Amino acid sequence: MTSPSLVTEDLTIRFGGHVAVNSVSCAFHPGELTVIVGPNGAGKTTFFNLISGQLTATSGRVLKDGTEITGLSPSARAHHGVGRAFQLTNLFPQLTVLENIRLAVQARSGHGWRMFRPVSGFRELTRKAEHYLEATRLSTVAHQAAATLPHGDQRKLEVALLMAMEPDVYMFDEPTAGMSLDHAPDVLDLIAQIKADTSKTVLLVEHKMEVVRALADRIIVLHNGELLADGDPTEIMSSRIVRDVYLGTAQGTGGEDAA
Amino acid sequence: MITSDTRHTTGTLVIKSVVALIAALLLFAPFLFQDVRSLEVAARICIFIVLVASFDLLIGYTGIVSFAHTMFFGFGAYGAAILLKQMGPGWTPVLLGALAGVAVSLVFAVAIGLLSLRVKAIFFAMITLAAASVVLVLASQLSQITGGEDGIIYKSPDLFKTATKLLTDADGKVVRLWDVKLNGKLAAYYFVFITSLILFLAMLRFVGSPFGTVLKAIRENEARAEAIGYRVVAYRTAVFCLSATIASLAGTVYAVWLKYTGPDTALSFSIMIDILLMVVIGGMGTMWGAVIGAVLLILAQYYLRDLMGAASEALTGVPLLPELLAPDRWLFWLGIIFILLVYFFPRGIAGTMMTGRKGA
Repeated sequence: MTSPSLVTEDLTIRFGGHVAVNSVSCAFHPGELTVIVGPNGAGKTTFFNLISGQLTATSGRVLKDGTEITGLSPSARAHHGVGRAFQLTNLFPQLTVLENIRLAVQARSGHGWRMFRPVSGFRELTRKAEHYLEATRLSTVAHQAAATLPHGDQRKLEVALLMAMEPDVYMFDEPTAGMSLDHAPDVLDLIAQIKADTSKTVLLVEHKMEVVRALADRIIVLHNGELLADGDPTEIMSSRIVRDVYLGTAQGTGGEDAA
Repeated sequence: MITSDTRHTTGTLVIKSVVALIAALLLFAPFLFQDVRSLEVAARICIFIVLVASFDLLIGYTGIVSFAHTMFFGFGAYGAAILLKQMGPGWTPVLLGALAGVAVSLVFAVAIGLLSLRVKAIFFAMITLAAASVVLVLASQLSQITGGEDGIIYKSPDLFKTATKLLTDADGKVVRLWDVKLNGKLAAYYFVFITSLILFLAMLRFVGSPFGTVLKAIRENEARAEAIGYRVVAYRTAVFCLSATIASLAGTVYAVWLKYTGPDTALSFSIMIDILLMVVIGGMGTMWGAVIGAVLLILAQYYLRDLMGAASEALTGVPLLPELLAPDRWLFWLGIIFILLVYFFPRGIAGTMMTGRKGA
């Protein structure tokens, strides 16, 4: 197997006495889509925050292609190729869809400091942004403010921003949360496309079991901040311990999943 | 923004025409309004458009609240004033003063920026307020250098003396164009107009550039801007420095025009409040708003009294009205106008007209 693109070593974060992520060591490889499952409060989003830099680990390390990125800011990690989409829609609400995407393209291009030339002069930025608009089928709403989009389109834009960053590691935090069943396939298709590129590493937090079944190459289970299980989807799905902690609880909070 | 706004073109068109009209009026101000006070108002409008626009880079584009904007304006003004006083009239003190003002402004901006742009907005605002207060106190205490409360009176470069003749006819008399003497006063006004225009156009350029889009991204969603790869602290510090530099240069120009610099003209908090009102009335996050806000507030400050005096006289005999419109009550009416403006244009005049009635 190829060398891992992303590695966590004993990754831990404490909030006062509460250990939200406890010594999680894991390696993620290019061409592999890993689904992270676990009940609410298991530390999935916190684990993501530690990797993408919104939180800094209390101890342990994060390595990207062998380079330590543990203490870096989110922007520096983005430049190392770690990209992240958020669970709660997290856009630039008053800017148009095209502007939103172009910002992500521009961040990657390093043109953010150019002060004297109009944005329209940077045709390659607009062209790339339009490419991702088409890829996410948002072209028709390109000139609408992000805040005015229906929820499903906002989720797609969330994914478009991540794609436009062109990272090596894609992290999706419940990309279909709150989406109706008609719209979810759009987003899942996009993730499947990314997965098809074998140079990309994909991490996905997801509750919907049909999604997990369809996409996962590997599943890791977090419970109370600890890595409970890690392995092949069929193996994990059939394991008893996982059924007890995860599926049991998931049924208990089924209302959220159905939302 | 080239790509957006196919939606509300009428409002945008109206605002842009108004701004173009204002620009034309300012360009021909010495010929259109041939008295000293009007020219004073026109020059003040030019300077304040730049000052308000540079403040809008912070508050409207990036979402940074600072109360230190007059401090930077003051650095530029005092830089030129002190050197013009010490070295006598000439261009060298003006240039050196401008450079010194910018240098001091940058030192303060970098220090405040790096120390405090990481903290919450409210703490940042407090720190800028504290810095501005300290500088204001220093300016009035260090009277040997700054002239204290009285300020400094000095001469501007010879070119701008009223006695300077730009063009003379055969008899050695100053040439008149449309009945306006081509003298140093005219040169001084165009110095103010052109430098203001250049600074304003530069800012228009900044906000339309990739850099400008990053500023807006930071205003809209700081965390996401960071997550997609922009170093937010660096951008915020940079725009704070940029804005301080422009305010400082505007201060230098104003000092050269006024030939007087004191706490009341260059440093006081009443100027800061004026800037805030202008940016709110005009509309945040658009350079056109700065133009409209500055023009409206300055015209109101200078002419509302006269207008009310005239109205009051015209209405003599009518009960109550002349009393209500007595010129002494101008501040009361100014307040009412502000409240109405904010009520009907919640995003400022330019902001509301250009974005349409969002959420109304």
